[in-house]
Amino acid sequence: MTNIIEVDQVSKKFNDRMILKDVSFTIKEGTINGLLGPNGAGKTTIIRLLNGVIEATTGIMKVMGFDPQLHGDEIRKRVGIVTESASLYHDMTAWDNLVFFSKIYGKYDTKRIKHLLEQFDMLGFKDQLVGSFSTGMKKRISLAKALLHNPKLLFLDEPTNGLDPEGINEVIHYLRKVNQEEGVTILICSHVLHQLETICDSYLFLNEGRIVEKGAKKELEDKYLKEIRLLVETGLKPLNSQSYMGYTYSRRGSNQLEFILPSKDEITSLLANILSETWIHNCEITNRSLEALYFDIRGGIEVE
Amino acid sequence: MNKTTILTIARKDMKATFSSKKVWVPMIIVAVILCIIVPALIAYFGIHHDLLGTSTKDIEKPINAFIKDFPNEEMRNTLIALPTLGYKFVYFFLTFMMIPFFLMVAIINSMVTSSNSFVGEKERNTLETLLFAPISIKDLFLGKVLASLIPTLGISFAAFIISFIVVNIITYPHFKVILYFNSTWMILMFWVIPILVLFNIILNVLISAKVKTFQEAQQFGGLLVLPIVGIIISQASGMFFLSPFTLFLIGAALLIGNLFLIKLVTKFSNRNTLFQSQIH
Repeated sequence: MTNIIEVDQVSKKFNDRMILKDVSFTIKEGTINGLLGPNGAGKTTIIRLLNGVIEATTGIMKVMGFDPQLHGDEIRKRVGIVTESASLYHDMTAWDNLVFFSKIYGKYDTKRIKHLLEQFDMLGFKDQLVGSFSTGMKKRISLAKALLHNPKLLFLDEPTNGLDPEGINEVIHYLRKVNQEEGVTILICSHVLHQLETICDSYLFLNEGRIVEKGAKKELEDKYLKEIRLLVETGLKPLNSQSYMGYTYSRRGSNQLEFILPSKDEITSLLANILSETWIHNCEITNRSLEALYFDIRGGIEVE
Repeated sequence: MNKTTILTIARKDMKATFSSKKVWVPMIIVAVILCIIVPALIAYFGIHHDLLGTSTKDIEKPINAFIKDFPNEEMRNTLIALPTLGYKFVYFFLTFMMIPFFLMVAIINSMVTSSNSFVGEKERNTLETLLFAPISIKDLFLGKVLASLIPTLGISFAAFIISFIVVNIITYPHFKVILYFNSTWMILMFWVIPILVLFNIILNVLISAKVKTFQEAQQFGGLLVLPIVGIIISQASGMFFLSPFTLFLIGAALLIGNLFLIKLVTKFSNRNTLFQSQIH
C-alpha cells in the first residue's frame, strides 16, 4: 500500500502560539484512520494544513503527491471534507445544495447526486430546505456533498458531534460502506474514542500539538497492555478472598469477578478451570478498549 | 479564471437575494419611490396644479435670480423660456435634480447586496465550506461582485426606462421635449452608474471580506452615501453643475478607483489570509 499522506516535521505557529510542533506521520491508501486527542490538541489545524487552506510555519507535507501550499486546488479537487463548523446553505434545498457544490467542484452529474442521496437514505427529502433537517440528516447531506466528486481521500472533523446513538451508528455504517465500496481513504478526527474503535485501521494520538503515539490497535495493545484485566460473569465463589489459581481478583458485582492476568495466554486455562467448577455466562477484557489505551498513552506522557 | 465557478456562485447569490422578500422588496421599493413615483408626482402636480401657487410672487424673484445666474447657458435659456414657475421647477427638477436620486438608488442597492457577500457566508458558516473547495479566491470575489452587479444595474436600468416612459407621458404634451433623452442622462446611466456601482460593490466586497459581522460591513458601506448627499446639496444650490463632461470625468475617476481596488483585491486574494482572518 502506498502512502496517500506524508507529513514530516510540520509545525504551525499562530499569533506567537505553537499550535503544532514537529508533527510527522503517514497514512496508507485505502485505510481508515483516527486522529485522536482532546479539544484544542490541533486536530482541526492538521486537516486545514493538509487541505492547503492555511500554511505551515515549517515542515513538509505531501497529499497524493501534491504539496498543499503550492498545489492546494489539486488536492481540494481530490479530497472530500466534512468539518464540524463548515456548513451547508440552510435556505436552499438538499438537492440545490448538492447541485451547487457539484458545479463548484466541476463534477456536475445528477445521476451521482441521486445515487448519493439514495445511499444516505435522503432521496425522499431532496426538495426540503436543509435548515429544516435534524442534525443527523444535515450530517448525511454533508457526507453526500463531500463525496460528490468521487474523492480519493475523505477528511472528517468530529463527524458524530451532536448526533444521537442511532445517528452515530448510521454515520459509522456509511463511512465503512464508502471505504469498502469506493476505496476512499478516510481520516477521522474525534475526541469520542469508543465510536471509532470498530471502524479505524490505525490511530494517531495528538496531545498539545504533538503526535504522542501512532499505530494499529494491535500494535498499541502489545505496547501498552502490560496486564490483562478479565471481567468474568460466573457463579465461582473462591475460598481465597484475594486470589484464584494464583491470579489476583476483585469482586465487581454479586456474580462478577475481575481477574488480573500477566498475558492473554492465561485466559484459556483460567476459564477452563472455572468451568470445571461452575458456570460462566460472559467474559471480557476491560482494559484494552481504545479509551483505556488512550488514557494509558496520556498517562505515560504525564509521567514523562 | 473559471467561468462556470464564477457564474455558479453568482447565480446562487442572486437566487438567495431574490428568494428573500426582506432583501429584494426594499430594493425595488427604494427604486420605485425615488426614481418613478417622485419624478412622476413632481411632473404631474407641477404642471397641472401649479405647485408653487400664483400668489407666491415673493419666491418668484429669488428663483428667477437663481435661473439668471445659472452656470449652463442652454439650461438657463430653456428655463427662462418656460411660461410658469411650475413648469420651470418641473423642468429643472427632472433634468437636473433627479441625477442624485438615480445615483442614490444605485448606491443603496449595491450596498445591500454586496455588504452581505462574504460576511453572509461567514455568518452561515459556509465560507469555510467554500474555502475548502477547489476554487480560486479571485473566482470567489468575481462571483460575488457579479451577484451584486447584475441585480443592482438591472433594477437601476428598469427604473430608468419606466421613469422615462411615465415622466415623458406626463410632460411631453407641455414641454414638447423628451426628458432624460440627452447626453447628460446617457452618460449618467450607461457610464457613471455602472462604474459607480462596480466601485461600490468591489469596495463593499473587500470591506465585507475584512470585517467580522454584517453590521460592521453595513456601517462601512454606509459611508459611501455621503458623497451623493454632497452632490444633492451642491446641485440644489447650483454650486456645482453636473455637465456631461463633469459626469464623464466622475466616471473616469471612479474607473481609476476601480483599477486600484482590483489591485487591492488581487493583493488580498490569499486563501491563508482570508481563512485566518475569517474562520476560527
